Amino acid sequence: MTQRACKILVVDDEPDLQPLMRQRMRRYVRRGLYTFVFAQNGVEALEMLQEQQDIDLVLSDINMPKMDGLTLLQQIPKVDPDIRSVIISAYGDMKNIRTAMNRGAFDFVTKPIDFDDLKVTIDRTLRNLTEWREALASRDKLVALQNELDVASKMQQSILPTELPGTDEYKVAASMQPARAIGGDFFDFVHLDGGRIGIAVADVSDKGVPAALFMMSSRTLLKGAAIGGTGPGEVLYEVNNLLEEENESAMFVTVLYAEYNPATGELSYANGGHNAPVIFHEDGSSTVLPLTDGVALGLMPGLDYRQETVKLSPSDTLVLYTDGVTEAMNTDFEEFGLERLRRMFVESMPGDAETINDAIFKAVADFAGDAPQSDDITCLTLCRTTTDA
Amino acid sequence: MAISTSREGQTLIVKTEDRIDGANAREFQVDLEAAIDPNDRGLVLDLEQLSYVSSAGLRVILLTAKTLRKQNAKLAVCSLSDSVREVFEISGFDKIIPVHDNQAEAAAALAD
Repeated sequence: MTQRACKILVVDDEPDLQPLMRQRMRRYVRRGLYTFVFAQNGVEALEMLQEQQDIDLVLSDINMPKMDGLTLLQQIPKVDPDIRSVIISAYGDMKNIRTAMNRGAFDFVTKPIDFDDLKVTIDRTLRNLTEWREALASRDKLVALQNELDVASKMQQSILPTELPGTDEYKVAASMQPARAIGGDFFDFVHLDGGRIGIAVADVSDKGVPAALFMMSSRTLLKGAAIGGTGPGEVLYEVNNLLEEENESAMFVTVLYAEYNPATGELSYANGGHNAPVIFHEDGSSTVLPLTDGVALGLMPGLDYRQETVKLSPSDTLVLYTDGVTEAMNTDFEEFGLERLRRMFVESMPGDAETINDAIFKAVADFAGDAPQSDDITCLTLCRTTTDA
Repeated sequence: MAISTSREGQTLIVKTEDRIDGANAREFQVDLEAAIDPNDRGLVLDLEQLSYVSSAGLRVILLTAKTLRKQNAKLAVCSLSDSVREVFEISGFDKIIPVHDNQAEAAAALAD
């Protein structure tokens, strides 16, 4: 029950009721459970409801001059839909009682009033009102939380690059499909000197608002380190140390960061606990780039991140992805798996980054069927489109 | 994901099964925290029956290691299935959390 006394408006044209009510309910008034206010008829009652907005319950007679109780019932919700009404009716007057209930009365008592029964009825009504108000408060909180989630979701979407890099020498396609409103995956590009580009695909542990915030700082640190950095291994080394500094909640991010030189086809990469990239060749065969023994970022300071360099042949296609691709499950709890990804283009290799990237998303969706998507899915495809000079 | 626990001296042994993913990682965390006694010196997480662990699950394992460190206790995992082993290897977790082939080895390593 609420802390303050519940305010009850008694509406009756009988002058005797007011002293009787005060006398019989005096114990509860003294204990601070109830306070009473009185009105002579419906018109007066409505005026009081408008003036005193803290009235919780209306206890009203039916037959009164000016405005009767049944008409009053119809008017109360216009003042405040949360006010509860209890009707006082003549014993056996089922017709009016039914009308009152249909017009929204919460309960009724009959004349002559049994005050013990009235006390039970009032308490039951007030309990209902308290529960109703609590439910409303919970709903408001939920709406506020939902709004927060929407903000975080927009924030997350806004950090994904909308313009993808690409020249005559290479083409890029990339997409992220979140599992819930707020995911933990992201991808990013950085333009480096000499026409090179930095490419990152990352996956933050866990989902929701805290993960989104961790993702924002990961992405910012990564971008900064990439621009000023001296190669993928150094970049991950720096980001790992910075992330670890204030990471009480033990979040981590797996990152595949690569630097690509479109002129030579050289790709340097370092892997911080992330899935190994795949290179598809022109004939549809594929190579998985070996792991570089890097640990996910944010867990432990001072870790070294080894970098490797490979060379993309003309018409080679590099695919970076998150575990949302390989660990996508179907309804039989089978995983999509790396092997299924590798075999995707055995029959024919599309030459175009967007077609390849879309085909991977479609293959994962087809495989999962009706199984719900439990993790974000990110896939980034880079096609080398030049021949060696 | 249900856990079962047993004790050998001051080493707590926790077995879990099925899957740990984003949907039940919190529950796993609560269950694990409830199982740890302040007097425990080590925890062996036996993952033989665990078929899948997501990054959210890895995070709980890491949080548990941190909790244990505060009471001067250590964590080890053992008996990883192939798919869970792969997740440990890719994420690099096998380099920061000791992985053993079986319970006895893990318990012996913690007792050292």
